[in-house]
Amino acid sequence: MAKSKSMAIFVSGLWKENPVFRQILGICSALAVTNLMMNTLIMGLSLIFVTAMSNLTVSALRSITPVRIRMMVQTLIIASYVIIVDILLKAHLPDISEALGPYVGLIITNCIIMGRCEAFARHNTPWPSLLDGVASGCGYAFVLLTVAFFRELLGFGTVFGVRLMPGGWTNWTIMVMAPGAFFMLGGFIWVARSFGPRDGEKPEGAR
Amino acid sequence: MIKKRLFSVAYMFGLTLFFTAVVSGVYELNRTQIEVNEEIKLQKIVLSVLGIDVKPGIRDAEIGEMFENRVARHEREGKTVYQGFGEDGKTLIGYAFPLTGPGFWGPLYGIMAVDPQLRQIQGMAFYRHSETPGLGGRITEAWFSGQFVGKKIRRVGKEERHFSLVPAGTATAENEVDAITGATGTSRGVERLIDKDLKDYVPWIAQQRAKGLI
Repeated sequence: MAKSKSMAIFVSGLWKENPVFRQILGICSALAVTNLMMNTLIMGLSLIFVTAMSNLTVSALRSITPVRIRMMVQTLIIASYVIIVDILLKAHLPDISEALGPYVGLIITNCIIMGRCEAFARHNTPWPSLLDGVASGCGYAFVLLTVAFFRELLGFGTVFGVRLMPGGWTNWTIMVMAPGAFFMLGGFIWVARSFGPRDGEKPEGAR
Repeated sequence: MIKKRLFSVAYMFGLTLFFTAVVSGVYELNRTQIEVNEEIKLQKIVLSVLGIDVKPGIRDAEIGEMFENRVARHEREGKTVYQGFGEDGKTLIGYAFPLTGPGFWGPLYGIMAVDPQLRQIQGMAFYRHSETPGLGGRITEAWFSGQFVGKKIRRVGKEERHFSLVPAGTATAENEVDAITGATGTSRGVERLIDKDLKDYVPWIAQQRAKGLI
């Protein structure tokens, strides 16, 4: 497949049609898990895995799946991968699994995954679908890690548990609570959208 | 038309069978590790409610060791009780027993520790539940279980209840603690199960003590 097409898919998922700040999807978990970078990283990696594998599987089955039941099939596939991730986390990273709690299971409900399955994987071959899944997942992880960076730094004074703020720093506790998440995410969306094309305009090189 | 519908049903059935088999397979491969993790989690909870210091960075093997040295588990007459020992491994510092009961969405599982004379509560913690995160789920938070620490074990009122969970901020009497705002169902469940298990275990432990069994 042409290199430029792979790049186009990647840039689209990561920036031009970023699922979080462009399509405003996956907001719930974006707010809930971003108070610590380590949790966010695991969440992001889990989502990349699930989106990529679901896209791959939906694409592989696209010609034999009856159209009328396609959403049940997508949900089954997504749920299976998420439960596999949940089992692996419980077995090998139990503390992080505790910290993420119900949000791992809630990946099933994350609109990004089903959105990509419906919009892309259903109509494309497996390899581009896999790439698209990885790209959207990376776009999501990129936004979350940025939000988490500021929330953990200002709210705990650390990044990945490593203390970075000077000793006299007073933690901005609001940053680790829900309002802080809303402020950070809103701010991010505002800044990111100022760089891209305005809504309604055609983005250059639209897919 | 019928053929199409039949194919859809067969397809869905076959696909579901396949994916559930794969998920079950992954679970089977990881089952022992998950059970080990659950056991370690339980051991940590028992140690902490008995007042035995568990440092945050502690490794799993050390937890097992500490549990071996400082706690003795007894299962008798369908009841489970843990004896906690001091640093010397001999002086009794408390008894711990399981708490179970229905919550709002599902069963709640916890551990409660009382002093050797069965006069007051030393610690309490919930380790498994299906309650709403942020509402009923707050039963695992330190402020909630911390309310019970140091409270005397006695029955009050007509119903001879041990504790009453009242609206947050209105707790006045000795046996009243704050419920969780917005989690009435969970709070009621907690109130009931603590009462039931205290009534169940405290007399039984006293009896076992009298017989010299624990």
